[in-house]
Amino acid sequence: MSSPDSSSLIAQLDALAAQFEAAVAPLVDEQSIRAVQAQFLGKKGRVSELMKELPKVPPAERPAVGAATNRVKQAIETRVESKLQELASAALAADLARSIDVSLPARPAPAGHMHVLTQVRLESIAIFAELGFAVASGPQIDTDWHTFEALAMPKDHPARDMQDTFYIADDVVLRTHTSPVQIRTMLNQAPPIRIIAPGHVYRRDDDPTHSPMFTQLECLLVDEGISFADLKGVLLHYVRRFFARDLAIRLRPSYFPFVEPGAEVDMECSFCALPGAATANAWGQPLIRRDECRVCKGTGWVEIGGAGMVDPEVFAHVGIDSEKYTGFAFGMGIERMAMLRHGISDIKYYYEGDLRFLRQF
Amino acid sequence: MKILWNWLLEYCDLDRAMTAEQGAAALTKAGLEVEGLTDLGAGFSGVVVAEVVSKKPHPSADKLNIVSVITARGGEVTEVVCGAPNVPAPGRKVLWAQIGATLPGGMTLAAKPVKGVVSPGMLCSEVELAIGDDDDGIIVLAESDTTPLGAPAQVAVGVDDWMFEIKAPANRGDILGHVGMARELVSIVGGRVVLPNVDASAFTDVDAKVGFAVEIADATRCERYVARRIRGLAVAPAPRKMRQRLRNVGVRPINNLVDVTNYVMFELGQPLHAFDAAKLQHGKIVVRNAVAGSKFTTLDSVERTLVADDLLICDGATPVALAGVMGGLDSEVTSTTTDVLLESAGFTALGVRRTGRRLGLHSEASHRFERNVDPAMAEFASARAAFLLGQMGGQIAGEVVDANPAPRKLAPVVLRHARLHAIAGATFAADTAERILRQLGCTIEASTAAELTVTPPTHRFDLGREIDLIEEVLRLGGYDAVPDTIPRLRQAPALQAPDRQDVVRHALVQAGLSEAITFGFTSETRVQSLGLPPDDRRATSIPLKNPMSLDQAVMRTSLLPNLLGAVARNASFGEHDCALFEVGSVFLARPRDPSLGRDAGLADEQHMVVGVLSGKRPAQLAATTAWDVFDAKGFAERAIEAVSNAPVVSRATATVPYLHPGLAGELMVNGLVVGHFGEVHPAVRAKFGIDGPVFAFEIALAALPSAAPRQMTSIAKFPGTSRDISLLVDNSVPASRAAEVVAAQAHPLVQSIRVLEEFRDAKLPPGTKSMLYSISYRAADRTLTDADVETVHTALVKQLVQELGAQQR
Ligand SMILES: [Zn+2]
Repeated sequence: MSSPDSSSLIAQLDALAAQFEAAVAPLVDEQSIRAVQAQFLGKKGRVSELMKELPKVPPAERPAVGAATNRVKQAIETRVESKLQELASAALAADLARSIDVSLPARPAPAGHMHVLTQVRLESIAIFAELGFAVASGPQIDTDWHTFEALAMPKDHPARDMQDTFYIADDVVLRTHTSPVQIRTMLNQAPPIRIIAPGHVYRRDDDPTHSPMFTQLECLLVDEGISFADLKGVLLHYVRRFFARDLAIRLRPSYFPFVEPGAEVDMECSFCALPGAATANAWGQPLIRRDECRVCKGTGWVEIGGAGMVDPEVFAHVGIDSEKYTGFAFGMGIERMAMLRHGISDIKYYYEGDLRFLRQF
Repeated sequence: MKILWNWLLEYCDLDRAMTAEQGAAALTKAGLEVEGLTDLGAGFSGVVVAEVVSKKPHPSADKLNIVSVITARGGEVTEVVCGAPNVPAPGRKVLWAQIGATLPGGMTLAAKPVKGVVSPGMLCSEVELAIGDDDDGIIVLAESDTTPLGAPAQVAVGVDDWMFEIKAPANRGDILGHVGMARELVSIVGGRVVLPNVDASAFTDVDAKVGFAVEIADATRCERYVARRIRGLAVAPAPRKMRQRLRNVGVRPINNLVDVTNYVMFELGQPLHAFDAAKLQHGKIVVRNAVAGSKFTTLDSVERTLVADDLLICDGATPVALAGVMGGLDSEVTSTTTDVLLESAGFTALGVRRTGRRLGLHSEASHRFERNVDPAMAEFASARAAFLLGQMGGQIAGEVVDANPAPRKLAPVVLRHARLHAIAGATFAADTAERILRQLGCTIEASTAAELTVTPPTHRFDLGREIDLIEEVLRLGGYDAVPDTIPRLRQAPALQAPDRQDVVRHALVQAGLSEAITFGFTSETRVQSLGLPPDDRRATSIPLKNPMSLDQAVMRTSLLPNLLGAVARNASFGEHDCALFEVGSVFLARPRDPSLGRDAGLADEQHMVVGVLSGKRPAQLAATTAWDVFDAKGFAERAIEAVSNAPVVSRATATVPYLHPGLAGELMVNGLVVGHFGEVHPAVRAKFGIDGPVFAFEIALAALPSAAPRQMTSIAKFPGTSRDISLLVDNSVPASRAAEVVAAQAHPLVQSIRVLEEFRDAKLPPGTKSMLYSISYRAADRTLTDADVETVHTALVKQLVQELGAQQR
């Protein structure tokens, strides 16, 4: 048997390379490519089979055959990598060829709406918390004593005409204001007392600006050295934080039997500004010209509640020494604050459970 | 209350002239809020005072006259066609609406022919000027009228004025008259009060007697009683300007006698009462309490049953008036009255108020007495009325009977400057308080560096305490003079638990529900719509004694009816897909509980959470999948977990009357029922007119345990594995039963069991269902081997098969 010469082996190696290319060219998945790769380069692959002939090659020619073998192996491996790369590129290109109409509606994420009155209440609680006020509460059906008598409004007091009351029994009422919470708190706690009490109240009133049920926010601070000036400062802080604007407040003398001095609280209108003054609030909401404002009718002031220094008679009812302690109280309508901030035109919307309203906030 | 600006100015000598707008602003700033400001003369224009020169019949119409008028002496004569029957004699003044005049209702006059004669405008009646209801003829001014020719008609008829609608504080009885308001205005802007004329000497018969003695049985109810006698009066209309003023403050003019009593009341704030003296028999006025159960007919012809607390004015023993509230029918003045006994009294406030409220009577007089009328003013008011009646022809008796047993003297009050400054949070100049209090008519009895001793004027009943004086100083010194300060925080706020109601609101909003707030009251029909049995506490609502409507007649005992109402309402606006909740109070009746002290009679107020789902779930495109019971269950669990952070267990219930008996469950935490969920009973939703199914849940917030802050559990370091198991079980076995069985084993490698599928099919044996569960296994300290799991799983399967009566499939 003649010994194979090196050139014949090298030619056969080159032929294997060509055969590999033919086998791999039509393939479209990595698994088949790897299988063909193993057919050629595996331990029992065709390159190895051919190499069994190597010992028969004269030793002087063996290095040439060895080099050719490495070259072919290298070429096949490189080809495998490039083939895989081509496949990956094609797959990516195919993936990137997809497209959609992004103007179709979104798939809704859970989207509940907190009632605007709850939002205003929670935000108000947070603002008063900055000044150390804690939340207090009391029953909506309350006694005549807590609602009126302890607030210096005995049965025959003309001031009772101011608040038309729903009665449950002769001595039990639907509270007409949150002020009975003042009484309950002062009976249960010694000064210093710093509370706010938001809650539903009821009056026999029903027109576009009144609802038979509405929500008040009561504020009470009793301590040594509390003054009318403190009342002004706390109100001012609240109004400015709530409306994100440097608004003024104005107290006008008024009469509520449970406070003295008593006041109506007006706030500078949040919808409008004098020409030359601010043109937007801190949220960038544009302000209208004061003389065109229908909310304050051009006066620049809107009424937001009642306030005053706790009357010594009230302190007497709850056993607080009015010489040692003084205090202020105020109450305002949460509906009113929501109206002024959110432009709500009619108080009746709050209580109808109308989704067209609830969804807006 | 209504105040006329020019009428008010008659009693003021102000330091500076003011317009009506300035006056209104000054009063408002001092706490007498002017809520309305009306130009009373704005209803018409171009109407002037003219004098009749002559009249002649219209050539072609019987009932018409051609009246020649002038608007200036020696001025041009104009012929005006007039159809009124009362065209006066030459020399009398009428009101001529000239061409271009506008009349109430907006008509503008143009020259127009009347039966062939062109009339330059018209002569006006009260109705045409909308100043009264006399339509029988044109307005003819009194002979004594002094309005110049050509002047605007407003001046002649007394509507050249502004009407202030003032919100009078309930404690200020002293300003319920023009003189009282003048005192206030003078205190605010500076000046002095000018009291009206009471010098009736020209009309007084000094020797004439009143003819009545006055006896006050209880001086705590009637502090003073002044009686005057006016004879020889001819009842007639009062002067036009007086009538017009009364109309302008909302009182219908009657006749000179009644009008004078009303006029003086609006002038001085003192209610007066005129008795027809001819109808009084006994020569003695007795002021005493009523006999309980006795009857009295008031001048509105209503017979009233009295109680002992009511105060009567009696003619001897015969009641003739309900003191301060209303006169009696039998002694009423009429058009034939000539002889009058005039009452000017000081009835105390609370008694008048009690009687007025009990009988449902509220009058201008009782309104004033309830707010305190100054008895010191009674004699002056009586004299003023006598003066006015004298001017109208009455003969005034020189004698005045004035029963004034214990003239009221207000006690001095000490005002400490330091207290003033402490309450205000501001310091005032040393003499500020003194100056302001003097302006108000207070007497300064003593003044030191530390304090003032102050006696208020008799009409200021409301100034009995130091704090009352402090308010006056601040009020008139201006609230604007007080700075704004932030109060010192001496002590941190008390500990507070999170508000559970708000915790639930946040959880449900995050989960996709929207919050509704509905009224605390509802209708009894809605309460009963739930079909609750009588022994359910929620079946008995708490009624309001004085509801405004049947829809708001009782307190709600459940949040569900108002929310179903909202679902129905939304549907009527095309919003069929609702996902709403409410968190709020329900009110349950409970027997009076004396152990609660003052709160014995209060309701049992409970905080509830209710959600309702109707229509379809939110979707990207057209919503196609409807809400179902398990959505309600999911939202309920979310709410409960937010508050309690505890596992919720559910079991079927068929006993909630307003839920579908086959599609309802109880929600339980720690073995206690905390709420329900299910489909609203079809018969219940039908009562609200809702067509499709509604799913609901309700949770009693008080029943929920509180959660401590969540504690972290360690994160698994080794992978777990799971095995599925398919069981054929009887339909009656709840899906949750498998979890209970697995939990009871408490095997340390078992993590959880999950339901993968519930399969019901006709091919299965009747009455059975196929359940597919997945059980997860994990060890904390190693990766589990198949062998580990196989042993545990086989044991669990065996346990499940046995306890559920199942077959493994
Ligand atoms: Zn404005």
